[in-house]
Amino acid sequence: MIKIIHYRRKCIGCGICFELQPEHWRLSRKDGKANLLEATEKKGIYLASSTAPQHLSLLIAKTCPGKAIKVVL
Amino acid sequence: MNNIKKQIELLAPAGSFEALTAAIQAGADAVYFGVEQLNMRARAANTFATEDLPHIVQQCNQANSKAYLALNTVLYDHDIKLMRRIMDTAKRSGVHAIIVSDHAAMAYGKSINIPLHISTQANISNIETVEFFSVYADVMVLARELSLKQVAEITREIKRRKIIGPSGKPVRIEVFAHGALCMAISGKCYLSLHTQFASANRGACIQNCRRPYVVTDKEDGYEFEIDNEYIMSAKDLCTIDILDQVIASGVSVLKIEGRGRSADYVHITTRCYKEALESINKNQFTSEKIERWKNELSRVYNRSFWEGYYLGRKLGEWTDQSGSVATEKKIYIGRGTRYYPQRKVGEFLLEANTLTSGDTIMVIGKKEGVHQAKLHELRVNGKMAQKANKGDLVTFLWEPKIWEDDKLYKIIENKK
Repeated sequence: MIKIIHYRRKCIGCGICFELQPEHWRLSRKDGKANLLEATEKKGIYLASSTAPQHLSLLIAKTCPGKAIKVVL
Repeated sequence: MNNIKKQIELLAPAGSFEALTAAIQAGADAVYFGVEQLNMRARAANTFATEDLPHIVQQCNQANSKAYLALNTVLYDHDIKLMRRIMDTAKRSGVHAIIVSDHAAMAYGKSINIPLHISTQANISNIETVEFFSVYADVMVLARELSLKQVAEITREIKRRKIIGPSGKPVRIEVFAHGALCMAISGKCYLSLHTQFASANRGACIQNCRRPYVVTDKEDGYEFEIDNEYIMSAKDLCTIDILDQVIASGVSVLKIEGRGRSADYVHITTRCYKEALESINKNQFTSEKIERWKNELSRVYNRSFWEGYYLGRKLGEWTDQSGSVATEKKIYIGRGTRYYPQRKVGEFLLEANTLTSGDTIMVIGKKEGVHQAKLHELRVNGKMAQKANKGDLVTFLWEPKIWEDDKLYKIIENKK
């Protein structure tokens, strides 16, 4: 089990997270930013647990252009 | 080429409230800025929020300057609602125009009847395209790769064909006057997206072009360094020495690039170009003044200058070193803590470095903008002193008001 942290304020709405991991991400049509599904929120930072393949989550965190995603192993 | 005395609009960048104040203070006729993520500086930490729009417009209106909102990224389906919300808020807030490049933004802007400017991202390079976009916009930013001859041809044809925008007035042409240039035509670059999934066309460029590269012979693995190491990093555009020719080409708006730049950069560039425009209008555009302005412009961030493609050059000029070649740099040394208005004395807490009598200092703030002066005398903890150290409370005479979040810098020579 890994943890995915989403610093939503930094998101620029590119959509790479949704493209690669649709089970965890959606793109909000309200403000164009990504939403981390089934996440708890604290002060604008979203946290979710994931059983998805680690390498994919790490790849998303690495490629996020806004550096808005962090993965804790 | 006979329109030199007309009023040219000087458009300055504002990436922060400090830069906004600095631009207005330096005489910008208009400022442009972005909110949220749908602009070409999407990743900037200090980007404005939609809620800031009324404040920005109010500040511009008070100074009789125009406020233009940049909303010029590529738009995807999930951005449409946000784009519409930003445009609606901009209209309610009194933003004077929105700079767009995506057709969806043009169509929506037209439907809500807000003035539009077509961004350089649209790569407008001929009169037919100007005519096409005139259905939507009153101002069009031409492609930066055009020569002044081509620009003049376009402005002449606008008059001849009587091309008018939605306002019923002739379409006005804007060109870039100063700032960073991109290696890719009209900024349409894929490098950053290809290597880092950071799309330049979504305002997330990581500037791969500013790095040195080597060429590798794939057969035997030999690496060749190119003579000019920064083969993709264009020098910065500077038109101050040909500004009379730029204006004579019939343009109406001059843009200074630099929403990612500091307030002092915005202040100096805007002031120099404002002075240059006034000098041209008074027939006092002399080589001595040009020399002085170029020295001033060299003080702040630049990758050394060239005049772009305006004089007909087919190939760009590239930098030969990393980063800026500015002749000066500023070091953060402290923050404002108090102001004594009757004595016109500012108090600062020194948080780093030292401050000595004779130093050149700069204060940057959201409300007072940018001010620079030579420090003649200072007091430390209330007593006259020659030098102040980290942790000291320093006071000195300072005409503009000091606010608590103002930052104090020391200006030193930049030795590369």
